Amino acid sequence: METFNNFIGGTVTLFGDPIGILIFFGGVVGGMLFGAIPGVSMLTLAAILLPFTAHLSAEHGIMLFSVIYCTGVYGGAITAILFNIPGAPENAPTAFDGYPMTLDGRAGKAVGAAVMCSAIGGTISCVIMMFATAPIAGWAIRAFGPPEIFALVFFGLAVAASVGAKTFWKGWLSIMAGLMIAVVGLDPVGGIERYNFDMPYLAAGIHFIPTILGFFAVSEIFVQAEKKATGAYKAPELSVDFPTFKELWLHKIAVIRSIIIGFFCGILPGIGATLAAFMGYNEAVRWSKDRLSFGKGKIEGVISSETANNSATGAAMIPLLALGLPGGALTAMMVGVFQMHDMEPGPLVFINSPDLVWVVFAAMFFANLSILLVGFLEAKTIVNLLRIPFQFLAPMILLLATVCSYAVRGLVIDVVVMFVAGVAGFFLRRSGYSVAGIVLGLILGKIGEQTFAQAMQMLHFEFTGFFNRPIALGLLIAGFITIGASVYGAFFKKSDVQQSEA
Amino acid sequence: MSKLKFSHYFELFFWLMLVLVFFGYSFEFNKDIEIYKYGATLWPRTILLLIALAAIGQFFDQRKNGDKAASNTMAAAHEGPDSNPEHTGAAWYTSTFILLAIPFVYMTIPEKIAPLFSIEEEGLGNFKLICAAVLFIVYLGFAWRNHVGGILALPIFFAALLQDIGFYALAPVFIIGVMILMGERRATRMALVMPFIYGILLAFFVSLLYVGLPTGNIKPFYDFGNWVVTLLQ
Repeated sequence: METFNNFIGGTVTLFGDPIGILIFFGGVVGGMLFGAIPGVSMLTLAAILLPFTAHLSAEHGIMLFSVIYCTGVYGGAITAILFNIPGAPENAPTAFDGYPMTLDGRAGKAVGAAVMCSAIGGTISCVIMMFATAPIAGWAIRAFGPPEIFALVFFGLAVAASVGAKTFWKGWLSIMAGLMIAVVGLDPVGGIERYNFDMPYLAAGIHFIPTILGFFAVSEIFVQAEKKATGAYKAPELSVDFPTFKELWLHKIAVIRSIIIGFFCGILPGIGATLAAFMGYNEAVRWSKDRLSFGKGKIEGVISSETANNSATGAAMIPLLALGLPGGALTAMMVGVFQMHDMEPGPLVFINSPDLVWVVFAAMFFANLSILLVGFLEAKTIVNLLRIPFQFLAPMILLLATVCSYAVRGLVIDVVVMFVAGVAGFFLRRSGYSVAGIVLGLILGKIGEQTFAQAMQMLHFEFTGFFNRPIALGLLIAGFITIGASVYGAFFKKSDVQQSEA
Repeated sequence: MSKLKFSHYFELFFWLMLVLVFFGYSFEFNKDIEIYKYGATLWPRTILLLIALAAIGQFFDQRKNGDKAASNTMAAAHEGPDSNPEHTGAAWYTSTFILLAIPFVYMTIPEKIAPLFSIEEEGLGNFKLICAAVLFIVYLGFAWRNHVGGILALPIFFAALLQDIGFYALAPVFIIGVMILMGERRATRMALVMPFIYGILLAFFVSLLYVGLPTGNIKPFYDFGNWVVTLLQ
């Protein structure tokens, strides 16, 4: 009852103030638009707005960022579905089935599923967040230290090796290639330069934004260009035929499973929505009776990925608000907003500024609900982008990607890196490797190495220390079993494709 | 019976060479870290070991099962190069490799060979422009017969020229170039679409968001870039 009263109080504060309402709707529309425009993302908008939040109250500033977070994660699904360009890494698995659906003329169904499931996942996650922030945060801080986070990263990578690539080996090699890219730059413990090949640019490491833009946006342009050159290009068909509630009801188990996966991944600092989306998708494949149709335009793939990544948004606020630990780039910027107002996120926020906490909770709840209304209207407009012929869309996307990668650090070499990654992505995709696997390895590589180093220091450099930590041990065993099963399958079992051909 | 093809041997060679080169280079940063006894090399060397194991595992799997080796649930979503036979084979790869090398030739060679022609700092810009023009003609010669290779190399060539010529002068040429390589031949449409894309991008990023794009450093492109920025901001 107290939670409900607090929620009503937060809602009244949010909508009782005209400026608050303006900021709320500005955040909803801005997050969706920036998430949906190819080449930019919610992070671009957040980075632009960060300095301006000094002129807002702390409540309005944090509320704005939390709304952008919810709607931006959904917005990235639109470009993933329509152009195979995920707005953020957490939308990458959405493209696996969303884009083939667009090519089949079912873009409307995919976008509709993304709208509904993002709203459902995000709203339920918000409700759980309101009730469970304090107890879950307490459990996570006790149960999840560096060994557990490292084990979770290992398990996530082992699972991801079986997604996206043509074979398990290529999946594993893709992830390892991503991990090697992440190694370039400074080592996380001693700050020693690695693999800089005497180039000053490489001393700071390869930035993930140009790399992601190259592997996804640019390589997709190249793949489509090759199809156009050979006459195999098939223009995506325009469709605003959204799925019915009955169609979505058939996938209720996938939605529930993805909410649970998304929430538990989202609560862990540094892991968040990306792993949530990959695991949500992979579990959908694993539990499906029709596994071979995934990757060819199965709506369940879009549902699982989008439900899981939006479920992670509510959960990601728990470590931020309760422990002061940001879970990703956007929540890290939110720490900046707190600091601009001489505040520190953490348990004291609940005591010193309960109004702020409940305004943020209420704003996130309504932002997720508004995805249903504003998302459908926006999607109907954006689907029309498909009317643009590819020969006109391609230079636009390539130039957008150029501007975005250059704007990150103001370095032309980032643009070169992006286009080289695009060419590499083109050849790797032709050979059956997974660009999503490379990107996941790149993003989780730094977290993995850092937590491994912290874990080993914590365990006094004894690997047997993992045996005393049941969660870490369980996750490591699950990871090894996943890899072992794939290796066994490679040598002693016929593959799914071979069986279907037999 | 062995089902190995040339591409399988090439894949194994590629990954093992990568492992060898990176393992060799790891001795460059093999330094002690006081608080961490494994140092900065354990993590990358472990990854390299796993890459080598996976590459060898893949090779043996391919030896037994050919291209259908350990196909997983996503196998059917992938199209191999066999689906585009025009864009495989040694001739295509050689021509594409030459096209892709052109931008890197521009990024490295002119500054190195300029002293051989007694070119000073002031004349370097014009010398680089002449090199760019020559390389562009070479590019056109290869891209004429290899459209896909041309599409792959054009954006890298564009990025290589950005520092010297600038975004503002290069973007219109790039837009037209991509449209032609994508098969557009109607001059009127290109003439209408190019200013539209260029204008929208500049209005949004330069006028509205104040993103500073490269203006170039060779005259008259540098002056043109600054003129556009002043006009928009």
